[in-house]
Amino acid sequence: MKTAKRARTDAVATSPIVLIAQRELTITVRNRWTVIMAGVFGVLMLVIAWAGVAAEGFDGMADFTRTSASMVNLVLYVVPLMALVLATLSFAGDRGTTELLFSQPVSRTEVMLGKIAGLFVAIGGAMVAGFIVSGGVVLFQTGTHGIGGFIAFAVMTLLLGLIFLCVGALATMLAGRRPRSFGFAILLWFHFVLFYDLVVLGLASQLRGQSAVTALFLTLFGNPVDLVRVASLIVLDNETIFGATGAALLRFLGGPEVSVLVLVVAAILWVALPLLWAHAVLRSQDI
Amino acid sequence: MTALPPTAGTHPGRSAGMRRECCMLFVAAFLVGGVYQPLPAAGQSLISRIAAARPGDTVLVRGGVWEGDLVLDQRIALIGVGMPVIRGSGNGSTITITADSCTVAGFVIERCGRMLVHEDAGILVRSKGNRILRNRLRDILFGVYLFRGRGNTIDGNEITGRRHLDVGQRGSGIHVYDSPWNVIAGNTVTDVRDGIYIQNANHTHIERNNVHHVRYGLHYMYADSNTFLGNRFEDNAAGAAVMYSRGIVMRHNVFARNRAFSAFGVLLQDCHGLVADSNIIDDNAIGIFLENSRHGRFRHNIIARNDLALQMFQNADGNTFTENAFIDNLSPLVVVGKRTGSRWSDGGRGNYWSGYEGYDLDGDGVGDVPMRIQNVFHYLEGRNSAVRLFLYSPASQALAAASAAFPIMQLTEESDPHPLMDRERLFTGHAMGRNP
Repeated sequence: MKTAKRARTDAVATSPIVLIAQRELTITVRNRWTVIMAGVFGVLMLVIAWAGVAAEGFDGMADFTRTSASMVNLVLYVVPLMALVLATLSFAGDRGTTELLFSQPVSRTEVMLGKIAGLFVAIGGAMVAGFIVSGGVVLFQTGTHGIGGFIAFAVMTLLLGLIFLCVGALATMLAGRRPRSFGFAILLWFHFVLFYDLVVLGLASQLRGQSAVTALFLTLFGNPVDLVRVASLIVLDNETIFGATGAALLRFLGGPEVSVLVLVVAAILWVALPLLWAHAVLRSQDI
Repeated sequence: MTALPPTAGTHPGRSAGMRRECCMLFVAAFLVGGVYQPLPAAGQSLISRIAAARPGDTVLVRGGVWEGDLVLDQRIALIGVGMPVIRGSGNGSTITITADSCTVAGFVIERCGRMLVHEDAGILVRSKGNRILRNRLRDILFGVYLFRGRGNTIDGNEITGRRHLDVGQRGSGIHVYDSPWNVIAGNTVTDVRDGIYIQNANHTHIERNNVHHVRYGLHYMYADSNTFLGNRFEDNAAGAAVMYSRGIVMRHNVFARNRAFSAFGVLLQDCHGLVADSNIIDDNAIGIFLENSRHGRFRHNIIARNDLALQMFQNADGNTFTENAFIDNLSPLVVVGKRTGSRWSDGGRGNYWSGYEGYDLDGDGVGDVPMRIQNVFHYLEGRNSAVRLFLYSPASQALAAASAAFPIMQLTEESDPHPLMDRERLFTGHAMGRNP
C-alpha cells in the first residue's frame, strides 16, 4: 500500500515539468523581489479593505461590490507589473544556470512550461493570500453580500497574472539579453496598462456613430488588461455600471453570462497565443 | 333577500369644507355601524343596495366578498367596515364612478378586466370631487384611473398590479388623464407598469406616495404647476420621468436604486423653471438626466452613489445648483454637447463635492480653489458614450490626473467657484435654516 502510494507520487514528481516548476517556485520564493511585491500587494489590498470598512457609517457602501471595485484599480496596475518582472527575472536569469537547465534531457517546451507553472504558483499564492486577508476583513465587518463576484474577480486576477507571465516569457525570449529584457518588460507594462487605452480613447474621440462603438468594443480584445477589467466590473458591480454602452456591449457579445464567458475565453487566448509563439521561438533559438 | 340593509342618510351641506364633511361622514358611519344589523349572507347584491340608495347616502358594507362591477352614478359614500372584498367580473372596471363627490373607502378591490384600451381599472373615475381612501387594490390592470375628473383625492391606497404579466401589458398604478387639481397622497404602488402616470393634469399634488418595483415610478407629461412632496420612488427600472411640464416643485422625495441600463433617478425633459429641493437621489445608474430643461433650481439635494450623478444635454441651459451634496458618484457630470451654462454656485455658496481636492485656508467653509467638475475623461464620455467602457482603467485615471495637474487640458468650463468643504453643515444648522 505504502509503496504503491510512493510509486504514484514518484511518477508525478519525476515529470520534468513538475520538477522544474518546484525548482522555479523555490527560486522565486527565495527572491526578495517576489517577497517585496507580494508584500506590497497584500498591504494595499488590506488598506483598501480597511478603507472600505471605515467608509461605512454615513456612506454605508463598503460591501464587497464597492470595495472590490476599488481593488480592480490596484490589480490592473500591480499584477501585470509583478508578472512581467518575475517572468523576466526568471527567463533572462543567470546565463550559466539557464544553459545547465536546457542541457538536461528534457524538452525546451517542458522547461518553459515548468518555469511558468512555478512562477504562477508563486505569484498566485501571493495574490490569493492578499485576497483572503482583504476579503476576510470585509467579510468579518460587513457580511457575505457580493462574495460570489469577489471570488470571480480573484480568479480573473489570477488569470491576468498568468497572461502576463506568458507575455513576459515571450518578451524575454524575443529580447534576448537581460538589460534589454527589463526595458522591454517595462515598455510592455506601459503599453498594456496605459498607452493602449490612451490611444483608443484618442481614437474614440475622433470617431462617430455605430461603427465607432463597434470598433471600440473590438479594441477590448487587443488588451488583456481591458478584458479582465471589463469582465471584473461586470461580475463585481453589474453590467449597468457601463450605462447604455454596457447594454450595447452585452448585446454585441451575446448576453450577460455569455459576454463574461467570451471575455474570459479571449483572456485565455492571451495565455495560449504567447505560449505558442514562445514555443516556436524557443525551438529555433540558439541558447 | 327581503329588506334592504339600512343605509345611513347623511346630507352634509355642500358649503361645508371637505375636511368637515369627511369628519361628519365618519361620525355618521360610526353611529350607524354601532346599531348595524348583520347583513344577509355575503353575495347579496351590493349593486341593488347602491341602486336603492339616494344621493348623499352612506352605504356601509361589512366584511365578506361582494360581487363587483359597481357603477356609482349618484353621490354616495361607499364605506367598507373590516375590509370587505369587491370582486369584479373580469370584464371592465371593478368600480366605475360617474357621479361627482362620491367616496369609496376601506375595501379590497380586485379582478378588473384586462383591456388596456378600455381603461379597465380597479376604480375608474370619470367625475369630480371624489375620494378614494384606504383601499387595497390587487389583481388589477390599472389601479385608480382618473379620466377627465378634477378635484379628486386618492389617499392611503395600496395598489398591487399583475406581476405575472409582462411589464408592457400592465397598466399604471394611478393613472391621471386630463384631470387637474387632484390630490394623490400616501399611496403605495407596486408591480404595475408605471407607478403614477400623469398626463394633462395641472395643479396635481403628489405627496408621501411610495412606488417601487415598477417600470417608471413616475411618468409624467404636460402637467404644469404640480407639487411633489416626500414621495419615494425606489427599485424601479427607469425611475421618475417628468416631461413637458412647467412650474414643478419637488421637495423631500427619495429617488433610489433605479438600476437598469441607462436608468435614472429623475429624468427631466422640457421642464422649465423646476424647483428641486432637499431630495435624495441615491444609487441610481444616472442620478439626474436633464434635456432641454432650462432655469431649474436644484438646492439642498443629496446626490450620492450614482454611477453618473448628472447627465446634461447642452440645451439644458441656465440651471442653478447650489448647496447640493455630490457624494461618491463614479462620475459627477457628463455633458452631451459643449457646455451647459449651468450656475454651480449662488451667493458665494456652491456645492459639496466628495471628489474635491482643494483646501480652505481662511476656514470659511468654502474651498479656495474652484472645483473642476469634469476631467478630460468625462469630457470624452460626453462626446462618445462608448468611452465609458474605459471606466476604472488606468488610462482614464491618468487623464484625470493630467487634467488636474495641467489646467491647459481643461476642455470644459463646468466648474464650481465656491465648493463647500463640509457636507454636514449643509443639512444641519445655518444652511438648512436659510431654506425658504
